[in-house]
Amino acid sequence: MVFMTNRFGRRRRARLVRLLLWSGQSGHPQTKMTGQAGTKTTPARVGGVARILAAGCLFAAVQSAYSQGLAPGSEYPAVAGIDSRLAAWIAAQLHLMFAAFVLAVPMFALFIEYLGWRATRHGDAQEAGRYDWLAHEMARLLPAAYSLTAITGALLGFLLFTAYPRFMGYLTGIFGPTFVIYPLFFLAETLCLYFWYYAWDRLQGERKWLHLWLGLLLNIFGTIVMFIADAWATFMMTPAGVDQQGHLLSLYDAVWNPGWMPLNIHRLVANITFGALLCSAYAAYRFLMAKTPQDKALYDWMGYTGNLIALFTMLFLPFAGYYFGFELFAFSATYGVTLMGGVLSWLFIIQAIVIAVLFIGAAYYSWLGLLRIPGSEAEQRWSPLFNGLLISGFIVWATPHTMAASIEESTGGFHPVLGALGVMAPKMIAVTLVLVVLYASYLLYRRAGRVPVVSWHRTGTLVQWSAVGLTALAITALGVYGYFAPAEVRIKTSIWQIIVLIIGIVATFALDLFLLRGARTVAEVRWGTLPRRGQYVLIMLAFVIVWLMALMGYARSGARLNWHVFGIMQDTSAGAGLPSLGEVAVIITAITLIFFVLLALAFSISGLARGPASESGGDTHSPEALTHGGRA
Amino acid sequence: MKLRDFRLPHLPLPSRVFLVLAGIFLLLKLARPVIPGSVIVLYMGFVMAGIIIHITLTDHRIREFNEFFLSEPEGEPTATRAQRWVLLAVIPLSMGWWVYDTLRPTYAPPVEIFQRHPTVGEEILGSIKVPDWVAEPAKWSPEAIAKGKVLYEANCAVCHGEKLDGTGPAAEGFRYPIRPANFQDAGTIAQLTLPYVYWRLTVGGIQNQFNSPMPRWTTPADDPEASTLHSYDFTTEEAWEVIMYLYRATGHEPRK
Repeated sequence: MVFMTNRFGRRRRARLVRLLLWSGQSGHPQTKMTGQAGTKTTPARVGGVARILAAGCLFAAVQSAYSQGLAPGSEYPAVAGIDSRLAAWIAAQLHLMFAAFVLAVPMFALFIEYLGWRATRHGDAQEAGRYDWLAHEMARLLPAAYSLTAITGALLGFLLFTAYPRFMGYLTGIFGPTFVIYPLFFLAETLCLYFWYYAWDRLQGERKWLHLWLGLLLNIFGTIVMFIADAWATFMMTPAGVDQQGHLLSLYDAVWNPGWMPLNIHRLVANITFGALLCSAYAAYRFLMAKTPQDKALYDWMGYTGNLIALFTMLFLPFAGYYFGFELFAFSATYGVTLMGGVLSWLFIIQAIVIAVLFIGAAYYSWLGLLRIPGSEAEQRWSPLFNGLLISGFIVWATPHTMAASIEESTGGFHPVLGALGVMAPKMIAVTLVLVVLYASYLLYRRAGRVPVVSWHRTGTLVQWSAVGLTALAITALGVYGYFAPAEVRIKTSIWQIIVLIIGIVATFALDLFLLRGARTVAEVRWGTLPRRGQYVLIMLAFVIVWLMALMGYARSGARLNWHVFGIMQDTSAGAGLPSLGEVAVIITAITLIFFVLLALAFSISGLARGPASESGGDTHSPEALTHGGRA
Repeated sequence: MKLRDFRLPHLPLPSRVFLVLAGIFLLLKLARPVIPGSVIVLYMGFVMAGIIIHITLTDHRIREFNEFFLSEPEGEPTATRAQRWVLLAVIPLSMGWWVYDTLRPTYAPPVEIFQRHPTVGEEILGSIKVPDWVAEPAKWSPEAIAKGKVLYEANCAVCHGEKLDGTGPAAEGFRYPIRPANFQDAGTIAQLTLPYVYWRLTVGGIQNQFNSPMPRWTTPADDPEASTLHSYDFTTEEAWEVIMYLYRATGHEPRK
């Protein structure tokens, strides 16, 4: 009976259900056995032990799977009396999070390192030192996190092979060749990561280019690893390259299934947001614990940079998610109904609220940042207006189409006025305008403490802000038009809204670069002077993004309903349904807490690598004169 | 106590905050048609977040806010003092009332979140084949649509209204948890594919399983008693004709 999922909280058919059987960059478990470069430092030794444990788990899993075979009655064998769905859910989500972190951090750390290298070539040793310190500080978190990725991956593999042998057998049959090349890329990624990290000091100066190449290779291999695992995950959602009975016709089509590229893009962007916010939280913690003004300055700057990276990538996240959703709907209307109007529709209201918290928190942190710049009162005056616009935008963004109401309040589940805000078009207007506001905040921040010296700066500023206004106007007009247009046209208008936003941002930012060319700095940024509440916001944002990622991981996997592979292989286990939203919230909160406990462990281990002398930022990478001056 | 002490710009920050909160709350509470409490809570949460951000964006606003409650300077105007004590009384009292109002026993059924489009499995939806004469909206025949109109007006309009806006004569009887669908709204059939609408029409609310009183309009082969709630069964062809009329009369296109 497929209708069991239609009433939240009332009819729990299953103990727990519809899980992320393959939710993330979770590779074929065998790949997690691959060893990594050995090292004499404490974290690496811990990492080595972790990987041996992971390999042991995997060996046991594969042994178990083979020994059980696919005999009748063993389709969903019990594993040690635990709820295997719940266990697989938790393991998959944790693995996804650590994998996202270790994939994302090298991306922006490499970019920052490159900025430092460029500064060196321009003869700015101080600037180069700052960037190199920052990149290394971010990379410092990687080795221990990488080991946790392997451990959770092995655990996931163990659970999947032992509890879902039929499904894993099928997936192996389809993706056999990818299961062979995946470990090779994983090994290459591992080697690059450890060489990149541990050879940091050795490959300075003339050999820095070699270090940058290592970092680039690390990112390429990491991205390939994620893309391969995404193929497995999306095949489960939008299978292609197989006939109606599920027999393989084309491995190429199975990999390049309709959901593959959208998920690749979505994850690439989201991973960077995720990693950047976690680095920011780490910086915030170090700021709060710092004893000296210099350390405060360093970690303030690190937190700011992480938040800036997160904000920038967040600009594109709603559209990347929308693109993914669009492809899902195009593949099967069931997805559209399930996600937007059906059993998962209220989850998206929660998602809207959580995203709002994320954006509002990041914007608040940015506005607080103006306090670092003396003489930025003119820019600070705009903050209340931006605050009002942001809140208004998110009120529209979070308005449900079908409203929960008591019998006295009920207007039939649909409010004649506010209900109009509940569909896609007004929400797209709201969220896109919110992005315009965030971008405008950033433009003001760039202007704070600086006076343009170009002769045409008044006209230029007028044109710049008119263009920002015009962008907002065009986005609104497109949204209003889309509201009254058929669904196909509406989807196109939303794409145009994104294009207009990007054009507006690129054009006005280019203008800003010219406007501020040679600008006179009247007030330097005083790093380390941000109020402590700003640091608490960064820590909160890290919790929010982790929780959100867990929520959306559930949504993505839960959307398949009672299918292992959508439309091909049905999930016939005892609890093939969906848990209530309340139950989901409890589980993803537990996952979030476990993740942070493990992450704290990883951070502590990375701290062991520092000697007492380097604890206060005094190692080879700490720039001396950051406390005053300098911009990110 | 002077009147000008109560003018908005002269009011202390906490009083202004309170007035903004209370003003927005009353506006939402008194708005008609009534806004559900769940939505008001959501909106007030955002408003509160905005206010907290506003206060904490500068150190002097935080000081101003805190000192209003924590200090009582000599020579302070009586009006300011009165506001402090009024706020110190009103804030806990309103919170207490809110808690009481939330927890007090009532006879009303609990607030239930409702899914506009019940979830249906792919194994069901994928098995619904759209006939060739229905699949392409541009080729829908006027005769079929005309037949659909007659069927709609005879069977559906009593709830969904002759204008397809969910305001038929019987609609008021189905106010909770949801009214009959308003097909003119962009959130109903415009969001759905033909197989889904067909499934919804033929299966209905399945004896309220979907919180919907709509009867099923066909009799399933394996359950001949299922359609006893009403007096008419659509044939497959008639069901498609009604669906074609819904789209053509509202100007919506079925989702691909």
